[in-house]
Amino acid sequence: MVYNMKKIYIIGCLAALSFAACKPNLNSSKPSAGPLDLSVYVAVGNSLTAGYADNSLYREGQLNSYPKRLSEQFALVGGGAFVQPLLPSSAAYPTPQYVLAPTTSCTGTVSLGPVPSSDTNGTGNGNNIASQGPFNNVGVPGIRAVDYLLAGYGVLNPYAGRFYANPSTQTPLDEALRLKATFYSVWLGSNDVLGYATSGGAGSVAPAVPFPGDISPLPLFQYEYDSVIGALFKNGAKGVLINIPDVTAIPFFTTIPHNGLTLSAAQAAGLNAAYAGTGITFKAGANNFIIQDAASPIGLRMMKDDELVLLTTPQDSLTCGGWGSLKPIPANYILDETEISNVKSYTESYNQVILTAATKYNLAYVDMNSYLKTLATGILFNGVNYNAQYVNGGAFSLDGVHLTPRGYALVANKILSVINQHYSANIPLTDVNKYGGIRFP
Amino acid sequence: MRKLTLLAAPLLLSSALSFGAAYQLNLQGLRQLAMGGGGTAWPWDVSTLFYNPAGLSRLSGVEAYGSVQFIMPSTSYAQSPPAGYYTASTKMQTFPTVNFYLGGPLQKGSKWGLGIGLYTPYGDGLRWDNTWAGSNVIQNIDLRTIFIQPTVSYRINDFISAGIGFIYATGSVDLKQALPVQDQNGNNGQADLSGQGNGTGFNAGLQIKATDKLQFGITYRSKVNMRLNGGDAKFTVPSSLSGYFPNTSFNSSLPLPAVLSVGVGCRPIKNLVIQADVNFTQWNAFDSLNFDYAQTTAQLHNTHLPFRYKNTVTYRLGANYAISHKIALMVGGAWDPTPVQNGFVSPVLPDADRIVLTGGVTYKPLERLTILAAFEYVTSAKRDGNYDYSNFGGTYQTKAATPAIGLCYNF
Repeated sequence: MVYNMKKIYIIGCLAALSFAACKPNLNSSKPSAGPLDLSVYVAVGNSLTAGYADNSLYREGQLNSYPKRLSEQFALVGGGAFVQPLLPSSAAYPTPQYVLAPTTSCTGTVSLGPVPSSDTNGTGNGNNIASQGPFNNVGVPGIRAVDYLLAGYGVLNPYAGRFYANPSTQTPLDEALRLKATFYSVWLGSNDVLGYATSGGAGSVAPAVPFPGDISPLPLFQYEYDSVIGALFKNGAKGVLINIPDVTAIPFFTTIPHNGLTLSAAQAAGLNAAYAGTGITFKAGANNFIIQDAASPIGLRMMKDDELVLLTTPQDSLTCGGWGSLKPIPANYILDETEISNVKSYTESYNQVILTAATKYNLAYVDMNSYLKTLATGILFNGVNYNAQYVNGGAFSLDGVHLTPRGYALVANKILSVINQHYSANIPLTDVNKYGGIRFP
Repeated sequence: MRKLTLLAAPLLLSSALSFGAAYQLNLQGLRQLAMGGGGTAWPWDVSTLFYNPAGLSRLSGVEAYGSVQFIMPSTSYAQSPPAGYYTASTKMQTFPTVNFYLGGPLQKGSKWGLGIGLYTPYGDGLRWDNTWAGSNVIQNIDLRTIFIQPTVSYRINDFISAGIGFIYATGSVDLKQALPVQDQNGNNGQADLSGQGNGTGFNAGLQIKATDKLQFGITYRSKVNMRLNGGDAKFTVPSSLSGYFPNTSFNSSLPLPAVLSVGVGCRPIKNLVIQADVNFTQWNAFDSLNFDYAQTTAQLHNTHLPFRYKNTVTYRLGANYAISHKIALMVGGAWDPTPVQNGFVSPVLPDADRIVLTGGVTYKPLERLTILAAFEYVTSAKRDGNYDYSNFGGTYQTKAATPAIGLCYNF
């Protein structure tokens, strides 16, 4: 008896040499949408929603937008088709996107830098494609919250004009309402302050009629934002509102350091002689740049430690043109203390409007501002560390403002986490590392 | 636009460049393997060189012993929502290991025994898909070791014997990890670290024959620190970054932990031996793993990975039943708890508490020749864990099947 059992045991084990029997079988539990009907999802927003990246709108960026990522995850729990107003060919519209390539500086140094892509396969990219709609992603680069009730907006903004059904007569809100959405995401408001910031504070603060590049007045912002949210959710759709990131923390403003003027002792002495009597002094080593300042009696001053230099400042002018030392950096390349304070305080006020609306309509609220701040210290995802550094950080695209496909996937996961929490859903997150980052030659 | 004159912080290798934890194997003798992996108290054959060197002087004569084991591990991985409901499995691979022993009493009745053994006490091999979700943690790990152990044993009297062996260990490691730098086609880069190493240690034991029916043993196998000097670090990256990831060499060391074993064996009836072993493994020697590169850059820093293993106690139980002079059967099992603590569960070695079931048979076609066959099946509990260092988590389960066959000749 004992003998037989053991023999059987051994034979059983040897049969297992086929090893199908030895492979563990793990099944993951099933995801769920909770109470949500995700069959018709519409994404409302600006360039971030459109998938804009690398300083332009191009098809690959659109295919990697965060709404696209959300729709793919929604599809696992009953989500429906997701139609984006895709550009008809690979080339960016209207100007080429940046790619990384070796560039030669004024001193002859060759290094990697962003240059316009040579992809010219863009014939017809501006043509209106409304017949392919209605679209689930109505994100329009450049659009502000205060533009959302403006009839004929499609004439003013070619990104809207290329896919709106009636560009010359309708409002952006009309386009968002073309589909009877069951679920909306709304990430609006960044451009109400971003344009001011990226132009170095050249625009006005809260003028009665704000143009792009100005900061939108708070009452107008509040009126338009509330109207949009009221219209989108009046029929019982559910959704998520996303607040505005503090743009002063993005690589566009943090890559060129305020003290990037590195001098030898001789150079410092030369500059001290040139600036004698102004109260401005230089030392060997790192110095703060000299910047233009209309408020100064001599029209210029040394930069303060907490002021920011824009990524668009011409590098060759800094290196070889005497900018920041013998000549001040023009004010439109600098965000000074007052301008930074304007940007921060309006971002805070707008976010209060967004939070109030989310509470009023019982919608999920994503504090993207706080989340993107955690990028400064780094977000570790499945062994890859993302941070807010230009190029190296992996999350921001080559324009220093918009995100890479991986960055947009991080954003999608953050939104999904908040949706899951708010609606007691169990929608799977996406694998961020699966998507594209910065591509190196 | 700002040009990339300064790539400041480490892109990579701030993420985990993980390396295999020592994967302990208990396959050094087939009779012992078939009895749950124990053999400290009973000198079954010349493979006692590994289990307890003291047993060598108690053998009836000089023996030559050779065996080959085919380890076939498989690990599955699943993410639970909301992390995703992705699943993955390692590719099926077979890792053959060999044992060879020669030795015994110098002559019949001698109190001295001499011998030499070659065996594989540690190894690890997992091959994930190159683009799987954890590829930035690990793609492939292959760790192999061989211990060579010349041994001397002395039978003090009929009651007690002692033995000690010197260990020379040699081994190789190869590990691959995706690097989060992408070329123009969106393909990730790869780091490939491979090297050879060696180390030394000892294996000592005492065996007590209380009566013909009751024996005890104690064995201490020291820690062996495998030093890997001058390993090859190869990086596949876009050409514009090759200056940041130079192909270079690295130094590292891998501690193979000390094990204290105590065992008891008894013969309640003539044809039956039952034995029990307890192993105390000093896994806390494996605290972290450090790679020091000969050339570092702004992007390539030395790597220090935390593992923080904890000590374990393993229980083994087995029986040998002689049906006749020619045939004996063995069966056994073991409870082998994991040294991996929560927060350190990585796909490099997704370890969990293991249950080991074993069986085997020996057959003597000739008076002096024994054919041995054994089979081991290892299964682990499903373990939900995270490797905090890489922020990578999920549920893992590992199973392994190991058939083995060997020959023993008694001179």
